[in-house]
Amino acid sequence: MKLRQSSLLAVLMAASATAYAGTVTVITSFPKELTQAYKSAFEKSNPDIKLEILNKNTVSGIAYVRETAEGRRPEVFWASAPDAFEVLGAAGLLEKASDVANHEVPDKIGSFPINDPSGLFYGQALAGYGIMYNTRLLKAKKLTPPTTWADLLKPEWFGNVGMTSPSRSGTQHLTVETILQGEGWDKGWNTIIRMAGNSKTLTDRSFGVPDGVNNGQFGAGPVIDFFGLSSKFSKFPVEFVYPDETAIVPANIALIKAAKNTEEGKKFIRFALSPEGQELLLKPEISRLPVIPYAKMNNIPQGYPDPKILAEKSKVHFDTELSQQRYFVVQSLFDQTITFRHKELQNATRAILDAQSKLAENPSDKGQALLEQAKKLAWSPLIDEKEAVSEDIQKVFQGDKKDASVSQALSKLQGQWNSEAEANYRKAIELAGQAASS
Amino acid sequence: MSTHNMKFPPGLMLVALGVLGFLLLFLAIPVGNVFYTAFSNADGSFTMGHFGSFFQQPLLKESFFNSLYVSVMSVIFASLIAIPLAYLTVRFRFRGALIIQTLGVLPLIMPPFVGAVALQLLFGTSGTVNLLLQDWFDVSIPIMDGLNGVIFVESLHYFPFILLNLTVAMRNIDGAMEEAALNLGSRGWRLFRRIIFPLALPGYIAGASLVFVKVFDDLGTPLVLGITNMLAPQAYLRITQVGIDDPLGYVISVLMIVFSILALWLSASVLRNKDYSTLQKGGSSIQQRKLGRWESVLAYAWIAFVLLLVLSPHIGVLLLSFATVWSYAPLPDGYTLSHYAAVFSNSHDMMINTLLYCGLAAGIDVILGTAIAYLILRTRIPARRWLDWLASAALAVPGIVLAIGYLRTFRGVELPGTDTVLTSTWIVIMLAYSVRRLPYALRACVAALQQINVSLEEAAASVGARRHRIIRRVVVPLMAGGMLAGFVTSFITAAVELSATIMLVSRDSDAPMSYGIYLFMQSASGRGPGAALGVLAIVVVAIGTYASHLIVERASRRTRSLHAIEQE
Amino acid sequence: MKKVSVECRDIRLSYGDTEVLKNINILIEPGEFFALLGPSGSGKSTLLRLIAGFNQHNAGQLLVDGKDISAIPPHRRNIGMVFQSYALWPHMTVWDNVAFGLVERRLPRAEVRERVEAALALVGLSTFARRRPNELSGGQQQRVALARTIVIEPQVLLLDEPLSNLDKKLRVQMRRELLSLQRRLGITTIFVTHDQEEAMTTADRMAVLDKGVVQQTGSPATLFDFPANRFVANFVGTMNVLEGAVRTRNYSGVTLSVDGVGDLAIPVHDDIPQGDRLAASFRPHSVRIDAAGGNADAHYVWLPGVVEEREFLGEFVRYAVRVGEQRVTADQSHFAGLSQFQIGAPVALGLEPSQIRLLSA
Repeated sequence: MKLRQSSLLAVLMAASATAYAGTVTVITSFPKELTQAYKSAFEKSNPDIKLEILNKNTVSGIAYVRETAEGRRPEVFWASAPDAFEVLGAAGLLEKASDVANHEVPDKIGSFPINDPSGLFYGQALAGYGIMYNTRLLKAKKLTPPTTWADLLKPEWFGNVGMTSPSRSGTQHLTVETILQGEGWDKGWNTIIRMAGNSKTLTDRSFGVPDGVNNGQFGAGPVIDFFGLSSKFSKFPVEFVYPDETAIVPANIALIKAAKNTEEGKKFIRFALSPEGQELLLKPEISRLPVIPYAKMNNIPQGYPDPKILAEKSKVHFDTELSQQRYFVVQSLFDQTITFRHKELQNATRAILDAQSKLAENPSDKGQALLEQAKKLAWSPLIDEKEAVSEDIQKVFQGDKKDASVSQALSKLQGQWNSEAEANYRKAIELAGQAASS
Repeated sequence: MSTHNMKFPPGLMLVALGVLGFLLLFLAIPVGNVFYTAFSNADGSFTMGHFGSFFQQPLLKESFFNSLYVSVMSVIFASLIAIPLAYLTVRFRFRGALIIQTLGVLPLIMPPFVGAVALQLLFGTSGTVNLLLQDWFDVSIPIMDGLNGVIFVESLHYFPFILLNLTVAMRNIDGAMEEAALNLGSRGWRLFRRIIFPLALPGYIAGASLVFVKVFDDLGTPLVLGITNMLAPQAYLRITQVGIDDPLGYVISVLMIVFSILALWLSASVLRNKDYSTLQKGGSSIQQRKLGRWESVLAYAWIAFVLLLVLSPHIGVLLLSFATVWSYAPLPDGYTLSHYAAVFSNSHDMMINTLLYCGLAAGIDVILGTAIAYLILRTRIPARRWLDWLASAALAVPGIVLAIGYLRTFRGVELPGTDTVLTSTWIVIMLAYSVRRLPYALRACVAALQQINVSLEEAAASVGARRHRIIRRVVVPLMAGGMLAGFVTSFITAAVELSATIMLVSRDSDAPMSYGIYLFMQSASGRGPGAALGVLAIVVVAIGTYASHLIVERASRRTRSLHAIEQE
Repeated sequence: MKKVSVECRDIRLSYGDTEVLKNINILIEPGEFFALLGPSGSGKSTLLRLIAGFNQHNAGQLLVDGKDISAIPPHRRNIGMVFQSYALWPHMTVWDNVAFGLVERRLPRAEVRERVEAALALVGLSTFARRRPNELSGGQQQRVALARTIVIEPQVLLLDEPLSNLDKKLRVQMRRELLSLQRRLGITTIFVTHDQEEAMTTADRMAVLDKGVVQQTGSPATLFDFPANRFVANFVGTMNVLEGAVRTRNYSGVTLSVDGVGDLAIPVHDDIPQGDRLAASFRPHSVRIDAAGGNADAHYVWLPGVVEEREFLGEFVRYAVRVGEQRVTADQSHFAGLSQFQIGAPVALGLEPSQIRLLSA
């Protein structure tokens, strides 16, 4: 019996070893429908290659690539958020693959470069950001369908919005940056904080927002367009709309440096950028926008959004370098002041909205002044734009976290922001209360 | 040459060393590494700085207290459900007893994170119950909001631990204890409070401490419900986002282990010297009464209520698996079989993976469990108790902590002969299952071996059999029932494990069913198939539980008759 | 405290179709130490538990102090019971165990303390108050159980096989203590046992039960000397029984033709039952054993026999002697120097006529 056991073990180990020859490993945060479609199509036209999908959210994907030793890394990194690729590129973890790029793909979409100018990563699909809402819930609660971000800040939307945190979702990070760049740092944070204040919950993954809207857990939320469109396809009672303040941003694909199987990895990239690969994006359950202009493609479904038109309508000129500079700062600021203090923020928002409605009935100058103070306390960012990219802050965020002193400094700063936010909200509630009763 | 009286029989020493090696390599060292990292600086020197950082962050402090709060509240609500049911079963003679027994099993066959999704649909603010309540009474119960949701799901899932332990403890009370109290004038509630419950307390504490530890360590449920301000999700998020080097993730892990051990140690010390199983030969359990009319109504009403609650996740998942669209409505819009079709066509990889990992893990567990049981009960090798403690210590290690330990300890370690890293293969997942399930298998094997009178083996020795033959031909066959029960328990608990799985799965093709369900739930069109897969998982677990129950029944009947013969 | 009588009138108890107690009629006098004796399955424990209130009879009356208590639930009967297993609560100290009944009655703390101390002193366990039951020996546990019951001053005390869990030496000591305790307190006490020596040494009066029926009630001496039937005769002490057809019956006695032995002329005059077959019963210690062929004293009724077995019991030697086809047990007082008969020795057994009782066969 012992002999049988050991030979079984040997067979198992051999089986797991051979599985890795002729394999292309792709790190992606894309959902199963998409990866499954690409996997089937790619393996069909490349029968000797096996496609392995590593499903990781953008942030842990970056961490994974960093952690894995050279020569063992996965081949392809494929994700929505361009800043992730900036980070990887800056860390020297990407490799050029210009021989497999598709030259039909234009350089820019609107003012946003589709491909990385230095050739380290390529746009593979396009997506916009917008608002998705549940028609049934809106009807039940008598809310008007939103068309702009500002609509979600209205008092009647309190408790009916859903969001997620940039630290958990590359696309949310992009949405936040889009708003920050579109409206400016201060006004942008104001919008973001108020939207979060109106939110019922901050979900754990970016999918949590469309999921919540689908199931009627909340009424509306910022989502990437394909979530909204594919949900509609799945017959959920939802609608999707692109506000003017949107960005059309590419989802990128890149070749990881010092991967295990670089040659065959390139084949996948070529496939993804080919017309065949691009057509897969048009499947209703996927609902993404191709990078190849419609003029050069066939089989575009009726009424399918045209990225070129959307990009021309869009008001935002996205600066990826700026985004990259303040990447971790924005995330941390959001988390410490919004995500981890959500309850307090909600309470503050409610108090302010209450006071506002009371003052609308019985206006009072004193009350108004108090209310403005409250709003300023609750709805402003803790640091200004310059501080966010200052050297001191950069040092804290870029240091080696294994060093206890760095880790302590970081914790301290984060803790500071956290407590400051809490104090602000508390004070805001107080002031709003005073405003309401004056 | 018989090794029976040797203190260090060579063959068994080898076995002991092998077992020790396994436990050290796959339990002690990874966990030790976690502790080491939490206390060391970038240059390797000792520091309490990371703990300092932890307590400086209000979020982390909050997570810590939230985890404690949720665990304690879950124990309380689980007790509220379980204690009346236990009392009903033991005290009264009534036909609902069978229902209560099933109630005690139903929750355990549903993985809690699957149930969480269903409960969200039924009890969430836009869920069935609240929608109806709002329509009719304009009121809504925030049962699934925030931490309440976690408490609700966990109590509903774990109350059987208390129910089972309490019922057994109450059944073991000698009826004379109660009659003596009656005789001296006590009855009803006072009798219960002063005599019956204190005597059953050890059973209650055993169950309650287990519930506490399991809720404290659970990652899947809070994650699925979107709650991140608890310890387990925080550890997960930090390690996955900030990287395997983030020291705070280790601090959290250390805290989790310390508290789990504390809870288990507390309950063990309270229980020491308090084995109140007073039932003697010829004694009988406490009296059973018939229910009065009113009492009957109340009892059945309570049971029906609990039954409905307990079944709600199962019903929810079932509905979801057949639903076309279920959004902001009490019931789905329509029904379809397409999700099952999707699952059966796409997901056999996952099912095979589950069978493979859990089967191997359970197999390893049974082999190790038998070896350790034999070493403890049948040899005099010094310090053999340490093997028992080491193996049982795995109970206190949360899945996510073990996973983190593996990722750190085996980083860069390759499988011999290949150039793949251990941590990116399924083997590491299987090892995590096996180590964490070992305590259950070990207890089953020890119980099985204890039932075998040593004279059966001595008889074999006296007619010339050597030790390994005795083991093969006498011990193992007699233990077979218990071993099988241990195998099945290991298997079914591993099949629904998510905490360690979520951290250790790298490629989709390595995913077992539990991870598959989690992945499915991440996309709009995946909820249906995810629920279908969940239903399949439940069916597998249910069959496994039932089979194990039958096997144990049959085996204990055999040894019971053996005992009867011995005592005549 | 008032001494009360306990009376069972026509008590019947059945479980389903099985009749466990059939028509029980017993009267226990106030202050009596009364034993219920019988083999297992005789119903004695059932009867005891019935009196305590844990079993309900189907018919009949249970009277304590002249009043029927059948409808009163066990916790209100004020009848104390000491269980065979003592049933001490392991999670409470000795003190708390004993105080339990008083606490249930909501008595003031000072009174509880006083009475518990008195009860513990009565059973000699005053220094054991803080111990737990599992730290006590069997005899000590029994005394705690006793203290726990008498502290509430019940009107009746029930003891369910109180000595069966103790070893022999302890049993003898404890039964003396029990008796003296009962005498001091004067509570009507009913105790159940299967050991006839226990019953005979302690009880004022006793009832022998078999298969749910009272076979005979009376003082130990009455039951020993004048058993009403063969069951009682065999159960209480050892009894020789020689059964045979009646050959003659006249003023000088009865002659029985004993199966396998021959004619036996028994000069018994009083108390001879009717019938064609009778059983002559006599105790082993009323049999004289002499060597065969000696002078036969005509006072005795002589039987020839051969020694088959011999047991040396210290105070006496018990011989099993084959007489014809029957076996007779004869006890001979032993003194140092007195020789014993060998196995196989021919002997003559002399029966003392006044000790022979004739029973219906």
